[in-house]
Amino acid sequence: MSETKYATILDTLDIGMDFEILFRQAGDGFMQVEYGYEQRLYVPDSFRMLAVNDLILQKKIGGLIETVPGLRTNMFHFDPEVLSFKTLIQEIKDSELQFKGVESLKVKSRLIRLPIAFEDSETKQAVEKYLNLIRPDAPNCANGYNLEYIALCNGVTTAEAKELILRTEWFNSGCGFWPGGGFFWPIDPRCALVVPKYNPPRTWTPEGTVGIGGPCVFTYTTPAGGGYQLFGRTIPTFQFAMKHPQFNESPCLYRNADRVKFFEVSEDEIKDIYKHVHEKTDYKYQVEEGEIIVKDYIDWLNSDSVKAETETFRKRQAEGAKSAPRL
Amino acid sequence: MIKVINAGLQSVIEDWPGRPGYNGQGMGPSGAMDNLSLQMGNLLLGNALTEAAVEIPAGFFSCKFEKDTVIAITGGNMSPTLNDAPAANWESIFVKAGDVLKMGNYKDGFRTYLNVAGGIDVPPYLGSKSTCMFGNYGGFDGRALKPNDVLKTGTANYAWPGTRKIKAEFIPKYETVIELRAVVGMNACPDFATEKGMDYLFSHEFPVSLNANRSAIRLEALPDWFFSRESGGVGGSHPSNIVDHAYNIRGGLNVTGNTPSLLTADGPTLGGFICVLNVVNADLWKIGQAVPGKDILKFTEVSVDEAVRLRKERREMLTERIVV
Repeated sequence: MSETKYATILDTLDIGMDFEILFRQAGDGFMQVEYGYEQRLYVPDSFRMLAVNDLILQKKIGGLIETVPGLRTNMFHFDPEVLSFKTLIQEIKDSELQFKGVESLKVKSRLIRLPIAFEDSETKQAVEKYLNLIRPDAPNCANGYNLEYIALCNGVTTAEAKELILRTEWFNSGCGFWPGGGFFWPIDPRCALVVPKYNPPRTWTPEGTVGIGGPCVFTYTTPAGGGYQLFGRTIPTFQFAMKHPQFNESPCLYRNADRVKFFEVSEDEIKDIYKHVHEKTDYKYQVEEGEIIVKDYIDWLNSDSVKAETETFRKRQAEGAKSAPRL
Repeated sequence: MIKVINAGLQSVIEDWPGRPGYNGQGMGPSGAMDNLSLQMGNLLLGNALTEAAVEIPAGFFSCKFEKDTVIAITGGNMSPTLNDAPAANWESIFVKAGDVLKMGNYKDGFRTYLNVAGGIDVPPYLGSKSTCMFGNYGGFDGRALKPNDVLKTGTANYAWPGTRKIKAEFIPKYETVIELRAVVGMNACPDFATEKGMDYLFSHEFPVSLNANRSAIRLEALPDWFFSRESGGVGGSHPSNIVDHAYNIRGGLNVTGNTPSLLTADGPTLGGFICVLNVVNADLWKIGQAVPGKDILKFTEVSVDEAVRLRKERREMLTERIVV
């Protein structure tokens, strides 16, 4: 533990992995658990986070209000008059030590196929509004959109950027941000585009916008502010009125650990589907049950060809990042 | 029943503590921006301290009571009148059917609460009567009030015993420089911010910008030397970027690019930016009285233990001992 002024790490736990577990203070009633110091994108971290989160919730700890998992973090929101930091840390440590490891896991994970129209006129309007109202000289909005900047940051062409977005499945590490929102990470590291987020953020984004921030994709469920770089528009993923049968039980389409795979369609098709979701309520969502066998996935990640191709992509990306203007 | 005549800028139904427990579905807690005033109003009226009231920002609200009841006006002073005669804040007031309550412009504080014996009766959504403005759910039809809306009121626990007042020494004071005590974290030194940067954060006076609403208050940009790292790595190239994580809302100070924003009632629950401090629970109410474009926020560091002590002290204060 650091003696630095303004330090936030209350405790750590060594679990014999390639990262330590950090317990960070985040308020009187908030504590963040973080897997390691490195800001890394490694989807199996999320498998562990979600599985251990389930173990902790099963304990029904008094005073724990909620947990909110992210890819490599979990936020604990609690009443500190009922549950002390010390007791909470011990309960989490017990669960982490009890967990057998991700290698034996089969993660239940639905596959949702979503149509996307790249560079559509609605999301272009959001960028135009940002240029007019917030940052006229924003380098990420060259030629009125973010796709060129996304490509530039990753050393690829805009056509290649789209191809990478379409090629991988995207894994939801946990919902949040805005009602019904999910945070989707590339399962295929060879497709892991990385971009900075808006500086400063947007104040408006239309429903269905698809954007990327860091290596994470988000589909905007309702009009919202936001900081992700925009590249297209998909269909509704949230319906507060719960009129369409897909939303019978919940206004949210996404659950934790879902996967999304995009396929390209025209903007007109997207607009037409909006009518069939929100008005006629007869659009058929493409959702399949499925699972991820974690051992197979990790073996695939560790295979020579995937490692080599990931390395090649990262080098190209690093070159691109050097030439991209900072935000 | 209460009939709205003028609805003001954005008057909404809010309770306390709002709707905690749904951050993982992207639903912030909502709830009163100044929970202390709301709770004091409820205390005066014998309501549960969690009961809902009308939250009125900036004033210019008026309404007509359609039956006899007891109300309390708490929070910012908006020169209220009852049938055109001055009405007092911080005390219970008996009103008769046909009486008209009017608020003028805000002159001290920014939000006023109109509390009614029995509370405002709207259907709870996910356990709370609070309105979430951006999500259009909760409260009165998921929206701000409009002229001619008719608010139902709950069953009062109150037999008029004569005026009840909050003791003068317990009436909150609204300062132009608002001191917010805060716990450091979760992203601070040494990994994310420099000590010099954090010193700046805890000494600088931040004007409350006009870019302020129930979701967030945007503050002025931090200098580049606030950050202790060059980039956010795979989280994004700006040092404020991080692999997306859940936010410590309410009360988190979220840094997006160089711009810090204080996340409040309806704020985002998860995102890709660092959070450098969290305003202690006992001071959240002060944020609700910050006047955009006029007041100044100043953060003071406290330990977690001190923050928990302040929270307990606040809970223990909100009893009959502050009523006369």
